[in-house]
Amino acid sequence: MFLNALFTGLLRGLKRVSLYLMLLAVMAVMLLPFFWTITTSFKSPAEAQSYPPTWIPKQLRWQNYVEAWNAAPFGRYFLNSLFVATTTAIGGVITSVLAAYAFAKMNFFGKNFLFYLLVGTMMIPGQMLLVPNYLTIIRLRWYDTYQALIIPWIANVFGIFLLRQFFRTIPDELWDSAQIDGCSRFRFLWQFVVPLSRPALVTLFLFRFIGSWNAFLWVLIMTSREEMRTLPVGLYYFIGEAGTDYHLLTAAATFAMMPIIFLFLIAQRQFIQGVARTGIK
Amino acid sequence: MRSRLGKRIRENVEAYLYLLPAFVVLGVFTFYPVVRAFQISLYRWPVIGAKTFVGFGNYLKLIGDRAFWMALRNTSYYVLGSVPITLALAILVAVLLNSRIRGRVIARVAFFIPYITPMVAATVVWRWIYDRDYGLLNYLLELLEKALGRVGLEVNLGPVDWLNRPELAIPILIIIGVWQYVGYQAIILLAGLQNIDRQYYDAAKVDGANAWHLFRHITVPLLTPQIFFLLIISIIGAFQLFTQVFILFVGNPGPRDSAMTIVFYIYEKAFREFYMGMASAAAYVLFGIIFLLTLIQFRLSRRWVFYGG
Repeated sequence: MFLNALFTGLLRGLKRVSLYLMLLAVMAVMLLPFFWTITTSFKSPAEAQSYPPTWIPKQLRWQNYVEAWNAAPFGRYFLNSLFVATTTAIGGVITSVLAAYAFAKMNFFGKNFLFYLLVGTMMIPGQMLLVPNYLTIIRLRWYDTYQALIIPWIANVFGIFLLRQFFRTIPDELWDSAQIDGCSRFRFLWQFVVPLSRPALVTLFLFRFIGSWNAFLWVLIMTSREEMRTLPVGLYYFIGEAGTDYHLLTAAATFAMMPIIFLFLIAQRQFIQGVARTGIK
Repeated sequence: MRSRLGKRIRENVEAYLYLLPAFVVLGVFTFYPVVRAFQISLYRWPVIGAKTFVGFGNYLKLIGDRAFWMALRNTSYYVLGSVPITLALAILVAVLLNSRIRGRVIARVAFFIPYITPMVAATVVWRWIYDRDYGLLNYLLELLEKALGRVGLEVNLGPVDWLNRPELAIPILIIIGVWQYVGYQAIILLAGLQNIDRQYYDAAKVDGANAWHLFRHITVPLLTPQIFFLLIISIIGAFQLFTQVFILFVGNPGPRDSAMTIVFYIYEKAFREFYMGMASAAAYVLFGIIFLLTLIQFRLSRRWVFYGG
């Protein structure tokens, strides 16, 4: 009896250990590229190209970051990315709040039709629209401007869906009593609905910010001047210049992804819940 | 009676005002270009110079273009490789994350980071992992080779010139794709797993089901809505492969066009050769493929996706 219990206990422990080992192995594979990038970004040029490679840099060479930062106008790229991503995200939240509120809480002519129109656009591959949008941007004389990078992205179907779901959970009685107190719908929206929906708004903001920060093809096509480049496009041109200077390339890649990873780490709960909740249904 | 009508009109007007900003932008940059792209695809449309109507001429030219078939083939190869591998691994990871273990939050974050990392920065890193002379992958292969040699297995694993071998172009892109999306998919599956009532498992265990039975007959069927959703969006996403190719091969479609994808083809036709008409025709073919595949999946879903329970 005792032996039996010991045996099953051991077996369970073994299972537990193998579970952890498996998880750790997969995690190591996922994170290895990041680990390797960060360590290489501190290596000397000779060490970065030595073979066999070293796991830990012999000394921390912070200078790589200074050199990479000055090798191209990364300061400008960084500010461009920050400005474009912030305004795109704020604009996206505002247009989505308004449209989602109408869909969630108001009755109007053609509501279902417009809603299905939105659902339909989700199947359209974005790249399919590049050519006509490029011609539109040219015709608006927006080529090489911030408008071209921001305005087309401030409305998004995903945001409308996400907030509509959320707004629907707010009880109608709240609006009824606000109405009795003489509150306009618009004031009700900003003073009650918006504060109540903060988690959803933060999630949407993060998604839009990260999406805009990471955008590549659109920026590549809609800009040509160096001053207009965002970090990803700037980084692309830098690959051509840096060749196999991996100590500089990894430093540049690190500062292109750090803001996003940092943002994600502070808001990871909202982010992951957002994905889990909106991914389905 | 009159005031109620007035109220309804007011509500309509107000609702449309709320919809206005979103719909103006969507109208100009989504609805209109859908129609416009089709119109352009019917013309010989150089950026400068006269536009001539050619009917379905551009589509016929696509059929005759070897590069376009290459793009279709490569893209399909990528979709067929990356979608099932990512999904299978994501299910495994989700089940692991769902077991009662410590450090779940850290693990979730670790798996999710590749998904939010800027694709360009991530691909820069992969480009260097695949480097023939300084790359991490060849180094790991060499370590493996030595370890095998020590136990008496003599194998020759490298060095492999990952970035310059045409037959490896799509496989190395698949590896990047799997790495990038497995965590995202796992999070969505995990949400589904956490909704499964433990009672199902307990009841099945009483009936003598083993772990595999539980997985096969309870976990998988109850996860089918999430699996279906992921199949739809990952196929749509995989068909639009572009940025990773563009960065990995620094603006080229891989050695001997081995990584030419449909979107790369569209990009090249439109913005390097300036044939807007051909590019739009290719875009419409892509749309057609995605539309058909999505439709077929919805049709088939009635047979295998399990809602309810």
